[in-house]
Amino acid sequence: MNSIDPVGLANTVLGGALLGGLIALSAVGLSLVLGVMKLVNLMHGQIVVLGAYVAFYLAAFWGISPLLALPIVFVLGFAFTAPVQRFILAPVAKHGEEAGLLTTFALAIILENLFIRFFSGDSRSLDTAFSRETLAIGPINLPTIYLIGFAISLTVCLAVWMLVTRTSFGRSLRASSEDPISAAIVGIHVSRVRWGTFALNGGLASMGGVLIALCFSFTPSSGSEYLLTAFAIIVLGGLGNIMGTFVGGIALGVIQSLGAYFMGDGYRTFVGLVMLIILLAIAPNGILKRRRSL
Amino acid sequence: MKNGISILLSRIATPTRVGPRDFIVVAVLAAVAFAVPYFAGTYQQEVGFRILQLGALAAAWNIAAGYTGLVSLGSAAFFGIGVYTMAIASNAGLPIALCVLLAAVMAGLFALIVSPALFRLRGLYFTVGTLALAEAMRIFVVNSPWFGGQAGIFLTARAPKAYDLYWIALLIAVFVVVCVLLLLRSRWSYRMQAVRDDEDVASQLGVRTYRTKLWAFGLSGALIAIVGSIQALNQGIVQPNGGFGMSWTIDIVSVAIIGGMGTKVGPWVGAVFIVLLGEFLIQFPEIHLAVVGVVLVLVIRFMPNGIWGTLTLALQKNRNFS
Amino acid sequence: MTAVLQLESITKSYGGVRALDSLSLHVAPGEVLGVIGPNGAGKSTLIGVIGGALTPNSGTVTFDGRDISKLSSADRARLGIGRTYQIPRPFTRMTVADNVRLAATNSGHHISQRELEPFVAGILERLGLTPFAEEVAGKLPLLRRKRLELARALALKPRVLLLDEIGAGLVRSETEELIAIIQSLRTEVESMVLIEHVMDVISQCCDRTAVLDFGKMVTVDETPKVLADPVVASLYLGSVAESADTVVVDEGKRAAIRASLTSLVSAPNTAPGTPLLTVDDVWVRYGGLNALKGVSLSVNPGECIALLGANGAGKTTMARSLAGAVPLTSGTISFAGKSIAGLRPDEVTALGIAQCMEGRKIFGTLSIEENLIAGGLDARKHVKAERLEAVYSIFPILKQRRKNSGTALSGGQQQMLAIGRALMSAPTLLVFDEISLGLSPIAVDEVYEALGAIRDSGVSMIVVEQSVDRALGLADRAMVLGQGEITLEGKPAELLADARLLSSYLG
Repeated sequence: MNSIDPVGLANTVLGGALLGGLIALSAVGLSLVLGVMKLVNLMHGQIVVLGAYVAFYLAAFWGISPLLALPIVFVLGFAFTAPVQRFILAPVAKHGEEAGLLTTFALAIILENLFIRFFSGDSRSLDTAFSRETLAIGPINLPTIYLIGFAISLTVCLAVWMLVTRTSFGRSLRASSEDPISAAIVGIHVSRVRWGTFALNGGLASMGGVLIALCFSFTPSSGSEYLLTAFAIIVLGGLGNIMGTFVGGIALGVIQSLGAYFMGDGYRTFVGLVMLIILLAIAPNGILKRRRSL
Repeated sequence: MKNGISILLSRIATPTRVGPRDFIVVAVLAAVAFAVPYFAGTYQQEVGFRILQLGALAAAWNIAAGYTGLVSLGSAAFFGIGVYTMAIASNAGLPIALCVLLAAVMAGLFALIVSPALFRLRGLYFTVGTLALAEAMRIFVVNSPWFGGQAGIFLTARAPKAYDLYWIALLIAVFVVVCVLLLLRSRWSYRMQAVRDDEDVASQLGVRTYRTKLWAFGLSGALIAIVGSIQALNQGIVQPNGGFGMSWTIDIVSVAIIGGMGTKVGPWVGAVFIVLLGEFLIQFPEIHLAVVGVVLVLVIRFMPNGIWGTLTLALQKNRNFS
Repeated sequence: MTAVLQLESITKSYGGVRALDSLSLHVAPGEVLGVIGPNGAGKSTLIGVIGGALTPNSGTVTFDGRDISKLSSADRARLGIGRTYQIPRPFTRMTVADNVRLAATNSGHHISQRELEPFVAGILERLGLTPFAEEVAGKLPLLRRKRLELARALALKPRVLLLDEIGAGLVRSETEELIAIIQSLRTEVESMVLIEHVMDVISQCCDRTAVLDFGKMVTVDETPKVLADPVVASLYLGSVAESADTVVVDEGKRAAIRASLTSLVSAPNTAPGTPLLTVDDVWVRYGGLNALKGVSLSVNPGECIALLGANGAGKTTMARSLAGAVPLTSGTISFAGKSIAGLRPDEVTALGIAQCMEGRKIFGTLSIEENLIAGGLDARKHVKAERLEAVYSIFPILKQRRKNSGTALSGGQQQMLAIGRALMSAPTLLVFDEISLGLSPIAVDEVYEALGAIRDSGVSMIVVEQSVDRALGLADRAMVLGQGEITLEGKPAELLADARLLSSYLG
């Protein structure tokens, strides 16, 4: 048994917290979609991967830095997912939850195999000027990119939170999640809210993919891991709770890095999955209770 | 759920009836299938193996998903358990038949262990829980020191010939079919379907829902593990990404849905469709899967009862009019 | 004599609302007990608690001297408690016979494979379901679904049978059939509990009848005595004299409200002399049930219509189809000269029909102010602000608590919020669906005070109500729905004098 090295442990915990906050960006939209559409979006992970590929090729062909590419990735993610909801998911909604779920599963299969076909199965990663830099705080060394990603994720999550709590679209979104029939009778165009939410999620998840790809390499098949990580984060943070998702991301990051520290790096995802199953079983509504009016 | 009724109405398949005729049909088809290696080449036997394998997997999945409403995306976990049990047990020198039995027992135990957590989840959350479970199993097997890591385990047993494999697969397929038919003849059939249609009402009518779900989920998993154990023999080597890979779940789900969930014949129709499509696109495996995805999207939207369910409904309507 | 079933101070709350409030009740052997009470009195909750589907917050349920409070509903069914659902819940993808077989094979009684088929056939025969035995249950129309509910419960061979509104939504001849069946059961079932709105069933079947209101026992006694009790009649119809006296009319306040309302309602855009709303031969059918069977009515500009009727008569379906939330099977609805068939609910609202939905449907994740704004999304910013102020001046309590969650209000205040939200779209026609439901008498007074002011503003209104006197006190014209058809129509005074009005409620 090695004795525990306090500096190494602190490094791990802090790094994990930053990484978790960064990854939270890929999860924040999933929870909105679950609330508004009552849909577990199984193609979520593939949208995250798609964002990473878009940034990869923007950098490869036009030399656009991944961080500068974020707005472009958002727009493309939004534009790609809006018609998917409108023309593929909305029509099957009448067949029940199961049909929507299995349709996203089928879409995930399609996307993943198109990635393999067109982008090859090779493992890719994104590089920036900061990729190899670290920032020293006393004895603790943290990768600069974690800090930047964390800050970006926090900013975007705050913006989403403002959108949901302060705007007309946000009010419609909350009313539609709570009771779509009543929302429609009150005068809300619920189907428009649905595709708006799905497309917003598409943009957010794609940006999340860029941040993740700045820290880890990815392949066409990374989608299911990203989906489950995002799902663990939103369950941890409380469904429908935006800032809860961000905190949930930090918590998951810490738990995963502790798991990796004590059990070996391969167990990083495993720890998250086991926690997800336990959490789902004991508290389907999340650990951080959802506040009544966000 | 307010519009539950309309949703269910759109998914009414033919009622489940099992009579002696079904067993005769199975016997005749099995006899015909048994003769295939005598006049077909190795390639045809391999295709036949694949159809029997996928059909048996989908029929087993259908017990939980189609009849009991437990739509699982965790089939790879059960399949992987079958694959690894065969590898470890046969390398330890146990006879093959015993290894197959052991695979089923291990899968049943696994279902028993995870059921307290999984059965608290309903609907979509159950599905996500099973998906997480299968991924967790894969990662665990990759990382733990006992299963040979990414490299996997070689089987010391001699690899069976193509026709042997085909016959074993046929035997198992017949076993799965007979299991399904017997189950559908038994009182469990009503219980499972009642739990699927309305769990609360089932309980109000005396059905012990937890037990019913556990039987269905466990039996479904055990049968999947049996098929998995044969796959280990077929490959000669077992690896986490092969045994516990998502691709098995994808195959099973697409075969069952395209053929028709909750129908006796659907899984076999689906298996023939998917395997023949795969042979047609053999040069482009990823295109094959993408096409399967597209077909899946179309079937869910336009034929929610799958190929077989839609066919039988159409036949019924014809009969009513004439 | 010991009771078969004994409930001891049962309390069941849903998020602050007490559906049952320390209720005690016993059922004697050989007895048929009726349970009546207005909508929301806690009757279905009572059955849920006995059957085990709902866990009470406190209190015990004793069956045959044994405390069964901790047993699952499956175990209670096996002990001999059978129940039916108010809205039938057949296993829709199984055949009718399989539905019955399921219950027969999971009861506490063992049944061999040889006995099973004759047993199932006997039950199907008895309930007239034999011709449909091999049909998928999801295709059955309502009456057969109700029979199937009963068939399944009987297949359990229960000792106590709990029947939840078995007569609701049926026509008289169908109800009579059911009464005959229930009476024939007396010899084989030890006791029965019948929840009913159809008084024929109560008066012909029940030995004793309990009356519930707000989750509390009002009275329990022999059925004829209970039905003759004036307290019971007033629970259903309310008492006109009482409410008219208690409302003190503050003229100054009324004038202020009237001023505020001018910005909250719109003048109809129709040619003079033509009706604002015309409903022509509307049929609505879902899940095998004809909820509306050829309803025609019209509303003139500035007119207030009361739409009355017992539970299950089709009132809410009518309100929902006016909102565009229920597709019409046939018939037309035109509003201000335009057909609204096929429009989305939000488009209907934009045309000028606003709804106060049954159950209020306040969004708990939105603040009070946000709930109001959600009602007037299309308006320009300054118009929205103006309307908001107008609503606040009518209901000052909403302004005081505008930042709180919409569901943090009391029932009466939530209803005011719902009314305010409907006004935010400045409608030409307002539909109020069961707005007195579950409110205390004082809260109902306050709500109806507001409704009176709204009527005086000249907007057209449809008031869908169970509480007859309130609605008639407000309306220019009234209609009574029964079994999906309009059975009575006339001026409020004429209707009140008509004996058929009471009989449409009490049978």
